[in-house]
Amino acid sequence: MKMASDFHAGDAFELVREADRYRPIYYAAVSGDFNPIHIDREFGQAAGFPDAILQGMCTMAWLADACTAYLGDPARVKRLRVRFSRPVVVGDVVTFRGRCVSVEGPVVRLEVEARNQRGEEVLKGAAAEGWVES
Amino acid sequence: MPIDPRHVGRRYGPFRNTVCAEQIRAFAVAVSGGVPGYFGTAHGDPHPWSVDDEAARRSPHGALVAPPTFGVTFAMKPFALACSDPELGLDLIRLLHAEQEFEHGAPVRPGDELTTEGEIVEVRSRGPLDFLTVRTETVNGAGERVLVARWTAVIRG
Repeated sequence: MKMASDFHAGDAFELVREADRYRPIYYAAVSGDFNPIHIDREFGQAAGFPDAILQGMCTMAWLADACTAYLGDPARVKRLRVRFSRPVVVGDVVTFRGRCVSVEGPVVRLEVEARNQRGEEVLKGAAAEGWVES
Repeated sequence: MPIDPRHVGRRYGPFRNTVCAEQIRAFAVAVSGGVPGYFGTAHGDPHPWSVDDEAARRSPHGALVAPPTFGVTFAMKPFALACSDPELGLDLIRLLHAEQEFEHGAPVRPGDELTTEGEIVEVRSRGPLDFLTVRTETVNGAGERVLVARWTAVIRG
């Protein structure tokens, strides 16, 4: 596993995930978030979207997966912060591009951009903090 | 319509939750693009320490560890209850998840007995948008804090 000396400001990482038709339903099953806006196309449309929209927490889980892969251990992720700036609609593909902005002792700070297939930001201010052993 | 600030301080819980290995695995697999319950169907490579018992046993944790946002399974309830609380009367079709913050303490593992409490800590308005923030705190059976989370909803006017 990577140690503190293996992390450097400027490191980059990337993750791509797709909100396929069943993703919000599977995510509802494992998270307990069965809000109809996520699993019912008609409800999504009534709320003003082209289809059902993915749970924001699933988008955040993808962000966490991107950070976990970089940090090397799910338990190293100590802080996560996001604003959901645009819904992820069924059919969207989201690309997460992360960057290490600083390493101070055991604290690794990360910033991540998340954009859909049209290049629109779906998260704003997405940031994470990892704690790594020296 | 702005949310009445008298609701700040309204509390939900405590709620108890026992974490199991299958729940952690299903969560990691579903998030990674697979079918929950069918380990091996993920295309997105979930971290092995959240899905593979053998790899987890050899890890520094000695057992599966939950992915960082697994807290949704045990800590979202106060937020969900606040959003649908008849006393607040929010219009759910206009409600979206706006912001989220997680601060993690001890790792979450199978067998953990978790207790979560939540409180409405802020209501505010910006133009036609009304915001509601619930703070939750979760501790494990050893009394260690595992998660502090801030959940913010927006109600579009």
